[in-house]
Amino acid sequence: MSTTTLPPNGFTPAPQLADVLPPRKERGRVGMFIVRYPTIAVGGFMVSLFILMAIFAPFLGTVDPTALAPAKRTRPPSGDYWFGSDMLGRDVYSRVLYGARISLIVGFSVAICAASVGLFIGLVSGFIRSVDAIVMRIMDGMMSIPSILLAIAMMALTRASVENVIIAITIADVPRVSRLVRGVVLTLREQPYVEAAIASGTRLPMIIIKHILPNTLAPVLVQATFLCASAMIAEATLSFIGAGTPPIIPSWGNIMAEGRALWQVKPYIVFFPAVFLSITVLSVNLLGDGMRDALDPRMAKRI
Amino acid sequence: MLAYTVRRVIATIPVMLIVALFVFSLLYIAPGDPAAIIAGDQATPDDVERIRASLGLDRPFLIRFTEWLFRVMQGDLGVSIFTNLPVSHMIKQRLEPTYSLMLLTLIIALTFAIPMGVLAAWKQGTWIDRLVMVFAVLGFSVPVFVVGYVLAYTFALQLDWFPVQGYTPIGTSFTGWLSNLMLPAVALGGAFIALIARITRATMLEVLSQDYVRTAKAKGVGQGAILFVHALKNAAVPIITIIGIGFAGLIGGAVVTESVFAIPGVGRLVVDAILRRDYPVIQGVVLMFSFTYVIVNLIVDLLYTVFDPRIRY
Amino acid sequence: MPPLLDVQNLQTHFGTIDGVVRAVEGVSFHINAGETVGVVGESGCGKSVTAMSILRLIQTPPGKILFQGRDLLELSEPEMQAIRGKDISMIFQEPMTSLNPVLTVGRQIGETVVLHEGLSAREAEQRAVEMLTLVGIPAPGRRVREYPHQLSGGMRQRVMIAMALACSPQLLVADEPTTALDVTIQAQILELMRDLKTRVGAAIMLITHDLGVVAEMAQRVIVMYAGRKVEEGTVEEIFLNPLHPYTRGLMGAMPKLGSSLHETGRTKLTEIQGQVPSLRKPIIGCAFASRCPGVTDVCRKIAPAIEQKAPAHWVACHYAERAMAAA
Repeated sequence: MSTTTLPPNGFTPAPQLADVLPPRKERGRVGMFIVRYPTIAVGGFMVSLFILMAIFAPFLGTVDPTALAPAKRTRPPSGDYWFGSDMLGRDVYSRVLYGARISLIVGFSVAICAASVGLFIGLVSGFIRSVDAIVMRIMDGMMSIPSILLAIAMMALTRASVENVIIAITIADVPRVSRLVRGVVLTLREQPYVEAAIASGTRLPMIIIKHILPNTLAPVLVQATFLCASAMIAEATLSFIGAGTPPIIPSWGNIMAEGRALWQVKPYIVFFPAVFLSITVLSVNLLGDGMRDALDPRMAKRI
Repeated sequence: MLAYTVRRVIATIPVMLIVALFVFSLLYIAPGDPAAIIAGDQATPDDVERIRASLGLDRPFLIRFTEWLFRVMQGDLGVSIFTNLPVSHMIKQRLEPTYSLMLLTLIIALTFAIPMGVLAAWKQGTWIDRLVMVFAVLGFSVPVFVVGYVLAYTFALQLDWFPVQGYTPIGTSFTGWLSNLMLPAVALGGAFIALIARITRATMLEVLSQDYVRTAKAKGVGQGAILFVHALKNAAVPIITIIGIGFAGLIGGAVVTESVFAIPGVGRLVVDAILRRDYPVIQGVVLMFSFTYVIVNLIVDLLYTVFDPRIRY
Repeated sequence: MPPLLDVQNLQTHFGTIDGVVRAVEGVSFHINAGETVGVVGESGCGKSVTAMSILRLIQTPPGKILFQGRDLLELSEPEMQAIRGKDISMIFQEPMTSLNPVLTVGRQIGETVVLHEGLSAREAEQRAVEMLTLVGIPAPGRRVREYPHQLSGGMRQRVMIAMALACSPQLLVADEPTTALDVTIQAQILELMRDLKTRVGAAIMLITHDLGVVAEMAQRVIVMYAGRKVEEGTVEEIFLNPLHPYTRGLMGAMPKLGSSLHETGRTKLTEIQGQVPSLRKPIIGCAFASRCPGVTDVCRKIAPAIEQKAPAHWVACHYAERAMAAA
């Protein structure tokens, strides 16, 4: 996000003024925040909007998203059916709004679960050599299985439910978080202040709480945001190919899966959930990009 | 050089073993009774027992795993519950469309992503740079099947430039093959292009500030050669690394893309198998794709030595 | 005969977010064909920026840089590319990072002749071998196929020199060519440059903070301070009769070979007190005023112009006459 004037070749640009000066008073806190972190502001605002939409779905002019009306099948968008109706006569607008709940629940749950489990495994294997060797081999193996396929295999062995979708995606994501945390821990261990703490006999839990965790949280938080975005795509993908959320529950992937057969003649059934899914994921990704730039300026240039 | 190659090849063996072990043990880790789930809700207790026996769930884990591993090494991935055909045979029949799709996607992605990343780094801070970055965020955010439908609707249904779906073997007609795969490959390539363009930009930014780039300029090398010869070769290692890692996403995306465009590949096979709860097929496909992924990353490891003379263990 | 290089009133300023840095502020000098001119000063005094301005490796500054009568600052980028590496080439300070790690040494030397003389790859490699022989690298036939990381620092600087001289340039700009090297290697590299200069006949602009190097190599010296030229003259004039207090300070900070403490009482090294003024703000008066031992109110208000004080000696100091009288 650096918009510095182009540095002359061979010279490193001077540090950005924004990083050096204290925030100016006259703009006010909110205004200043938007100016300094526009991506976080925009992404965060849009994510909040979607969360509100999901929570207040019943009050936003929706009807029962599962109510069948065979006589009014595949109506194009109109005053009655804002986004049209599907092949069973269900209101696509209502289904899309309620569908946000599934996407957001899956996204946030996976982010929280994968981040916590990954944090735990990463911390343990970063500190205990014997565990490290075994655990990281297993993680390498797991990472060699493309995550969607791993989730598909797990879903094939369990009953379709939102919880199982969350578990399957979480398991596929854990190795990446563990690797990240372990990497950070290994670098931190080499830091003089941590070595000094170890040498002076500070107990391991104290070292982890005081020195390691605070430094690990920022990268994990950023990673968790990206996991949230990718989990929403994964849920939709799994549902789309029939290995995800049970078909009775309206999720964006399910709405699209049902609209698939008719997409050439009634594209709007697929179109609306697709747009909502894409914009939600985009918002979360923007939030993640912004947080990465803000929390870790060194990482900002990479990836 | 040879030692390095041998070492890398040997290093993949434990990874493959762990992959096999993990895929195999899913049956045992799964909560509930997988035999009952695979048999479905209408199954009789006899059906469940038959499936349990065919999956070998009635025998001890280690014995069963060793037997299974030996058969896998001989190319025997078991038998489909639904068709009773050997899984390896079913996969083999469908490999061509899948590998064709992935290969074409890879070619398209590299052709666009690398120049995009290089250009963005060169023109850092300009509208070109911003455009590439916006594209990158979009590429990460829009799911492959959404891109697929948008492309199919626009270029196949409305403009009629390409067939809506289907597949033509390359042996039958090259142009047919290409026109069938063009839209799927572009759809599948979106996220991959975003990934590669982003890492290319980031790495190039770092490389372009190095002293040797200034040296090259000082001896009269033109801008194009500076970017694509002097700088890009130095940026190659991170770029091919991300290509290797991103290949997992490519495989996952291929499964979905084949469904959108009705391409009779391995991805379709696994999607059909999900609907039929045909676990041996799913297991076989997961294993096949994981080995593909491991081998792609082995190739990436070996390519390091081509691009960076300093890497030599 | 007009000089080979004639720099007139060069001003190189950079716009950064916290203001304009006035790295070079109105510097003029010339270099004659075949001559070696030393440019001396502390780091940050604008030496390297001047050098890079000549090759236009940084933003085009105002002023004039006449090379063989053509103003380099008015050339198009392709015209400039044709000059870089062919008529004017440059050696950089850091041999460890100035060579491309993923291209062979032969390729990097050969690239220059491929670009400027249209040689084929095979001929270029031949030339690279010749150049490596010339700069005294053993087993050049094998070394051309090697990569920079396989060479030592001294060898890499030899490669840089080979690269710079491959097209027999008229002017070689050497930016601290020996600073990053061991003392013994430094001597070898300087010896090599002097030897090659006579063979190739190039003029050298030798940028250094090391007065010893200048004394050994150069015919004329330019002393720079805070982006300005403060003194200029022949090596004899500058060393025997330094007129600017800054130049005298530099001399005092330089250890003299062959003299020891108890031999003469006053061989103690002296340092120049204070710090180089910020180049982000315009400087009023003499740039050296804040550190000058003989500073007066005049110095703080009026910037001294550069004036000729002897047949081959120019200086920018209000009190140069006093220094002359003292000498």
